[in-house]
Amino acid sequence: MADGHPATGGEPDGPPARPRRRGQGQLEAQVLSALGQSPGPATAAWVQERLGGGLAYTTVVTILTRLRVKGAVTRERAGRSFVWTPAADVAGLAAFRMRRVLESETDRHAVLASFVSALGPDDERLLRALLAEEDPDGPEDTPDGGPGHGPRTEGGKD
Amino acid sequence: MGVFVLLPLVLPLTAWPMARLAAVHLAPRRATRLLTAVAVVLAVSSTLCLALLMVVGTAQLPGNPLPDAWSDPAVRAAVPFEDVAGRAAIPALLAVAWACAHALWCHHRLRRRATRALAGVPGRARLALLPDELPYAYALPGRPGRIVVSSGLLTRLDIRERRALIAHERAHLTGHHHRYLLAVQLAARAHPFLRPLRTTVSFTTERWADEDAARAVGDRRAVARAIGKAALAGQGRTSPAVTLPALAAPGPVPRRVAALLGPVPADRRWPPPASAAGLAAWAAAAGTAVSALSAVNAAVTLLLVLKAATAL
Repeated sequence: MADGHPATGGEPDGPPARPRRRGQGQLEAQVLSALGQSPGPATAAWVQERLGGGLAYTTVVTILTRLRVKGAVTRERAGRSFVWTPAADVAGLAAFRMRRVLESETDRHAVLASFVSALGPDDERLLRALLAEEDPDGPEDTPDGGPGHGPRTEGGKD
Repeated sequence: MGVFVLLPLVLPLTAWPMARLAAVHLAPRRATRLLTAVAVVLAVSSTLCLALLMVVGTAQLPGNPLPDAWSDPAVRAAVPFEDVAGRAAIPALLAVAWACAHALWCHHRLRRRATRALAGVPGRARLALLPDELPYAYALPGRPGRIVVSSGLLTRLDIRERRALIAHERAHLTGHHHRYLLAVQLAARAHPFLRPLRTTVSFTTERWADEDAARAVGDRRAVARAIGKAALAGQGRTSPAVTLPALAAPGPVPRRVAALLGPVPADRRWPPPASAAGLAAWAAAAGTAVSALSAVNAAVTLLLVLKAATAL
């Protein structure tokens, strides 16, 4: 994660249209969405051109490499260089990063008000009883939690 | 100042009955505000007294940076047990300072990292929907605050429950619940006796958001179902989070669901004086007032004694 990144330091101030120095997360999102606009696998030079001025070629390659570590892009060799393909969209990348934040912070419950907290030993039985009482059909949720029945529903849903 | 300086160190105990009963007998919004205020006053008082004890205690250590007159016999006479209490206050105060600084630092780091994780995610109405099978939903405070929901949670809810979930998280943001949570977190770090208040406030903020959501969507049962389903969906997955030790009473989630399936709680200003909750509320109020007065009294006394001794 903490690889040498010339990304933030080597970036010039840019035109006045860009009010503040872009954060690392913002930059990754921009590169990823630029790559997503490509009809097929794209080279780093194509991404750089697509993003417009302000970003050095090495910066783009660094960010693409970082995205690859996060599983957001894949690459394959084409001749002497690599071509890159997006494997996730911006929301997918954010999900990856969010997951890592949630897993690394031990005391997050003191900060982020979680929708539900962990259930105690008897809570599950009690909760099912309450829901069954309320709704005779019962919760359609399976006891094992049914992993993996989530086709990726992407943004734009409300 | 006599033994008064030690009172604020034990008076947080008077808030315990209140911490147990407020969640049931007061409307969530009032319970949150009252308990947070009580916790903050008690924490500030006890920390102030620790600092006063430390001033006198440190004055006796050789090589301390304080003026010599601070270890004047008159000053020592003003503080009881200055030998033991003064020396014990130094590590205690350091521990409090470190714990509070650490809590603040963690709070800001988590907010910063979570905000950075969401960078570039488009979202209407501040909602960031993340494709993740792990069911979770968070209100991320900030300017503007954002609501983070995983698709794993959303696919398990029907349309009414989804609306309830979003309304719940929005209530967290508009009510600035993170400020109450941070305040009681810091208070609990300042004095371990205040931990039950933190537990209660983290429960009452959820109840507060539940009630606001129920009002917003006009359907208490939808909110209850959303909470129940979300909790059951999260079962069976190992959560790395610190969980509360299992209590004999039902956990917070079933209590929230049960409260939502019941009637709207009465928004009374203060529990009836003859009830257990009323007694607990008065005990907490009295304890808080005495604690604050003792701390102020001790501070003023010490100031006067020092002024007389050192001719400031």
